[in-house]
Amino acid sequence: MSIFTPTNQVRLTNVAVVRMKKSGKRFEIACYKNKVLSWRNELERDLDEVLQTHAVFINVSKGQVAKREDLMKAFGTEDTTEICKKILAKGELQVSEKERAGQLDQVFKDVARIVADMCVNPANKRPYPPGVLERAMKDIHFSVKPGRSTKQQALEVIRQLKETMPIERALMRLRVQVGAADAQRLRPRITPFIKVVESETWNDDLELECLADPGSFRELSELLSKETRGRASLDVLSLKEVEEGDEKLE
Amino acid sequence: MRHIELEKLRELQRNPSNIRNICILAHVDHGKTTLADSLIASNGIISNRLAGKLRYMDSLKEEQIRGITMKSSSISLFFNMDEREFLVNLIDSPGHVDFSSEVSTAVRLCDGALVVVDVVEGVCPQTHVVLRQAWLEHIRPCLVLNKIDRLITELKLTPSEAHVQIQKVLEQVNAVTGSLFSSKVLEENTDKESNCKSSEREGPLNTLYDWSAGFEEMDDSSLYFSPDQGNVVFASALDGWGFCVEHFARLYAQKTGVKMEVLRKTLWGDFYLDPKAKKMMKGAQAKGKKPVFVQLVLENVWALYDAIINRRDKDKVEKMVASQGLKIPTRDMKHADPKVVLSSICSQWLPLAHAVLSMVCSKLPSPLEINVERVERLLCPHLRRFESLPIETQALKESFLACRSEGSDVPVIVFVSKQFAVDVKSLPQNQPRPLTQDELSQRKEQAKRRHADRLARKRSTSKDRAESSSPAREPGLLTGHGEDVNMEQPGSTDTGDEDPAQCFIAFARVYSGTVKRGQRLYVMGPKYNPVNGVQLPESYALPECPTGMNHLRLCVLDDLFLLMGRELEVLEEVPAGNVLGIGGLEEHVLKSATLSSTAACPPFLPLNLEVLPIVRVAVEPTHPSQMAQLVRGMRLLNQADSCVEVLIQESGEHVLVTAGEVHLQRCLDDLRQRFAKIEIDVSAPIIPFRETIIRRPKVDMVNEDMGSQNLFAIQRRRGAKTEGRLSEDIRVEGDGLVTVTTPGKECTVSVRALPLPEGVPHLLEESVELIRSIEQFNSTLHESQDVSSTQELPEQNTLDAIRNFKRDLEDRFQGMKWKNAVSQICSFGPRRCGPNLLLNRVEGYTRPSVWQCIENIRCSAGTYRDYDNSIVSGFQLATLAGPICEEPMRGVCFSLERWETRGVQTVRSVSEGIAEVKLASLPSGDEQQSDTDSECGRSTAKEGGSVAGSERSDEGIRSDRYGSCSGQLISTMKDACRFAFQMKPQRMMAAMYTCEIQATADVLGKVYAVLSRREGRVICEEMRQGSAVFSIRASLPVAESFGFAEEIRKRTSGLASPQLVFSHWEVVTSDPYWVPTTEEEYLHFGEKADSETQAKKYVMAVRKRKGLLVEEQVVEHAEKQRTHARKK
Repeated sequence: MSIFTPTNQVRLTNVAVVRMKKSGKRFEIACYKNKVLSWRNELERDLDEVLQTHAVFINVSKGQVAKREDLMKAFGTEDTTEICKKILAKGELQVSEKERAGQLDQVFKDVARIVADMCVNPANKRPYPPGVLERAMKDIHFSVKPGRSTKQQALEVIRQLKETMPIERALMRLRVQVGAADAQRLRPRITPFIKVVESETWNDDLELECLADPGSFRELSELLSKETRGRASLDVLSLKEVEEGDEKLE
Repeated sequence: MRHIELEKLRELQRNPSNIRNICILAHVDHGKTTLADSLIASNGIISNRLAGKLRYMDSLKEEQIRGITMKSSSISLFFNMDEREFLVNLIDSPGHVDFSSEVSTAVRLCDGALVVVDVVEGVCPQTHVVLRQAWLEHIRPCLVLNKIDRLITELKLTPSEAHVQIQKVLEQVNAVTGSLFSSKVLEENTDKESNCKSSEREGPLNTLYDWSAGFEEMDDSSLYFSPDQGNVVFASALDGWGFCVEHFARLYAQKTGVKMEVLRKTLWGDFYLDPKAKKMMKGAQAKGKKPVFVQLVLENVWALYDAIINRRDKDKVEKMVASQGLKIPTRDMKHADPKVVLSSICSQWLPLAHAVLSMVCSKLPSPLEINVERVERLLCPHLRRFESLPIETQALKESFLACRSEGSDVPVIVFVSKQFAVDVKSLPQNQPRPLTQDELSQRKEQAKRRHADRLARKRSTSKDRAESSSPAREPGLLTGHGEDVNMEQPGSTDTGDEDPAQCFIAFARVYSGTVKRGQRLYVMGPKYNPVNGVQLPESYALPECPTGMNHLRLCVLDDLFLLMGRELEVLEEVPAGNVLGIGGLEEHVLKSATLSSTAACPPFLPLNLEVLPIVRVAVEPTHPSQMAQLVRGMRLLNQADSCVEVLIQESGEHVLVTAGEVHLQRCLDDLRQRFAKIEIDVSAPIIPFRETIIRRPKVDMVNEDMGSQNLFAIQRRRGAKTEGRLSEDIRVEGDGLVTVTTPGKECTVSVRALPLPEGVPHLLEESVELIRSIEQFNSTLHESQDVSSTQELPEQNTLDAIRNFKRDLEDRFQGMKWKNAVSQICSFGPRRCGPNLLLNRVEGYTRPSVWQCIENIRCSAGTYRDYDNSIVSGFQLATLAGPICEEPMRGVCFSLERWETRGVQTVRSVSEGIAEVKLASLPSGDEQQSDTDSECGRSTAKEGGSVAGSERSDEGIRSDRYGSCSGQLISTMKDACRFAFQMKPQRMMAAMYTCEIQATADVLGKVYAVLSRREGRVICEEMRQGSAVFSIRASLPVAESFGFAEEIRKRTSGLASPQLVFSHWEVVTSDPYWVPTTEEEYLHFGEKADSETQAKKYVMAVRKRKGLLVEEQVVEHAEKQRTHARKK
């Protein structure tokens, strides 16, 4: 044996430690790396694939096993497997590099998907494939913020994308009906909410079919309900105005 | 050889009897382009030495690199035979399968074809194809047996062995022709048979046809290739020699004094020379004698090769040269490389170009001799009979046959078979050409003046450098036309840059009349019907673009070109019977078109494309902002390539459909370098799937009956699933009834999912339009609450159709379970017209049915009435994106079984003041409210709930909680549907192609192998009458179809070519969530199955692409991770 390999020292290079403080004591368990999160997501069902050993420690790196009385006091049981499961579910741990990367990637893709869902290419009124958007998001150096919801981030990224590529929110197709009493008065106030007027008929009351940005929908509906005391109606004819079917380029 | 002047060619174009339009066809690498090289060299366009190496017709860089031809291109050659001057329009075509469409474009413009066959390789798959194409287009073929030198140098055959080999190849070729002929005869006979019955009344004449006599009636001897007929050339294009039997016949006739006629007949065939009798005797084979062909022809060639290449015997060579009376330059004779000596001698002794061109000129028809049958076929597209065309159109046949170019009454008819892109720079107008003396002096004058100007300017503003930069580019002596001088201005060069440097030239042939530059002609689209056009005036009056004619347009011929391979020459007019290039048609012509001066002309039969495009890929610009360039580039590509399809899919992807991988590569290169000029990425396209549920299967994965086995595992698994996913608001009963409560506890809905009976989804899909009109009618009903007033019912025939539809549906819903199902339908989904149903089975709640338009049943608006729309739109959302991988559902029926509303009364009372007033508009009004809610919360159900919840709180301030409640109801209903769906055995549905494969018997096994590897299923297989070709019909999942065509072609060396068409949706039999559950499965697969099911693979791929949560672990086996030892 060479003198450079100390056999009496065990290094925890492949151990992920999950800790939990309970009734004033710190408990630790020794797990395999990259496995704890998949246990929590219920992807891994085999406990032995997650735990290195079923023992509960006070300090994993020193190899101090928790005393039985402490376990009894804190968890009310001596079954270490059950305690391990509890610690796995609730304990805190250092998320590994790979796991973190996987999570961020997931969110990134999710954002791209939401953008693809909400937006169209104004040139042909068709959505962008998520792949294109992912690349575009990388090009503008968009980075995922783990704390915020995907939807919020998607709205943010749309704003940024608009600067580099032709992209628009997919418009909603709305139908507005306003009674004769309010029609004349309200028409100019509706105008700023509308992108495209498809048809407009005045016979006593106003019937308007239009395309509007989904973002302004709530304001529009509030305006209408407040001003007309509910005598106006606002229908959504389609949530997303996109072309359907395949188109041949000729 | 002298260079042929353009003037000469122009003159020759006027005499159609001396024009030959031919194309060279062959399998890939059989020497088409090399042969073309030799012919071109004979006109002095390229040097003789380079012929065969240059591949002049392969003008694209890609073609030169890969060494295959990728496009058909034409060149006009001059040939002088027996004091007659001929103009030969030679079209070189590609041999690779992927470019078969280019062959079609070439064949259409020709009257004759040179079929080249490699004597070593014999008849190859593409040889079959080109022979068939030539046959279908009724053009006469001649045979060139190429690469005879390989028999000598590579295979080292003796002359007699070579003779046998040549005979064999010739027989093969004739066998192919024979089978084409016999299948045609059979086809005609079956036609006649069927016609006979119908035409018996017309007269006794027709009944005389006896089908058994078909073969005797038809004479096929003229079809076959035979050297004694003079339609076969033996050649080695690489070494530059070739001969007909006639050539040797003439040679020996002079030498030996035997009659040339006799020699010509006996040189090929089973004859031998009896030296004593000095006679040609029959039966060489039987008597074991050398055939004449071997003795007199092949042995001489062999001797020459032997002397030059093997022995390098200078003296003998000189003797041979002298005996033939050839004059070989000493420089060539002394050349160290024997190949040079050889080709130099051979090209004088047996000049290839002469042999081939004289065969072309004597055996192939001129445009004047155009076949009546061919004309009729060209003129009547879409299986119409020629007689059914209008009389004016039928009259055109005469002008076709006459092929006259002069005279004012001759209609102009031109067919454009393809368009190709060229650099604007290479157009002859923009080409540098020598200037005349006048122009030169003019230039000098201008230059002087400019120089003086500049000097003057310099003196005045010496600092101004910007000015001096513009005239810096001195106009060289060889720039464009005189008027191009102003090109030097900086402004105009800018426009030159943004101008797409590509322009399109149409590859066309004049069939009748004379086209002139600037002439206006009609463009007939493929769907144009001459019957509509007959009443239009002749275009000599030049009417304005006719209105109301969709497929007819007017165009102006901007430029006419003589095609000289990669060069173009400007022409002023082109008479009938010539191949030409037309510039400036890109606005009017997409790929191919018919141009004519008379509107009575029908569009020609569309090109017979041997290969349909099937290799699909999605392309994306690397920089997403360049989408517009990509689209423009794809449009241009579509015009430039006869066999590519470009389209935008519903998902927004740009898809390129090409004939094969090589073709795809070329298209991508063209896109990158010529048309779009941007970087593009290629990805596999998105494959559509559907989600559905099925009845619980009776057998497990190992085909064991599940009922008798221990099903504890199933229980366990389902328990785990429900436990993990469902919260306290959701209750599941054993039979799949799911009960969900809204977060605000106002409403509770119970939903059950059921698979629709067979045939129903299909029926629903078929009647989408009908359902849409039903929905439309119902929604108008909803709006105006007062029904009886001014409602207009749909038209009577729509009502009938709806009634029929309802009856059909009722027929399909059989059994107790579906009792009254049809009348309980609330809605169709997704998008209100899809193949899924929502049934209302709530006791005590009758809502207006979807059949209101045909049944006038009215029901009062109950308690639930106002929330009805929320339920329906929840159902719509659920069916639009299923739980497996967010793909639409298909064939699922959700039945709403219970619906309780607690606390609704209070909610209503709060909002009563408003609600009562706007009762009419409410259902639709709250629908959109909640739509926006659920749009926000579509990613996850939980999020949806929380959004709805938060909204509730701020709407509480406005004391209008109505909208929030309906919003919650939508997401609750959606969740309920999804959970109900999950309670049933879920399955993916894959889109299926039907795949038609034509294959010969010997590759049948390989076809089956490829099909089964790709999860294809053979539906039927039958042999086509009169030929050895099988046609196989199979179904193949779209997901497995990428690269399928390529694989099958590779496997069968191009003998089988599949055609794919979308046919239907099919359930993937395996369960995407399958894990071993039964005892048998445990035995077979173990507790954790090693292999994934097909369905799971699909699901994972889709989820990954969509960025959904994929059940994928970072590390599969914990123990197998590498331990990173950090040395301390």
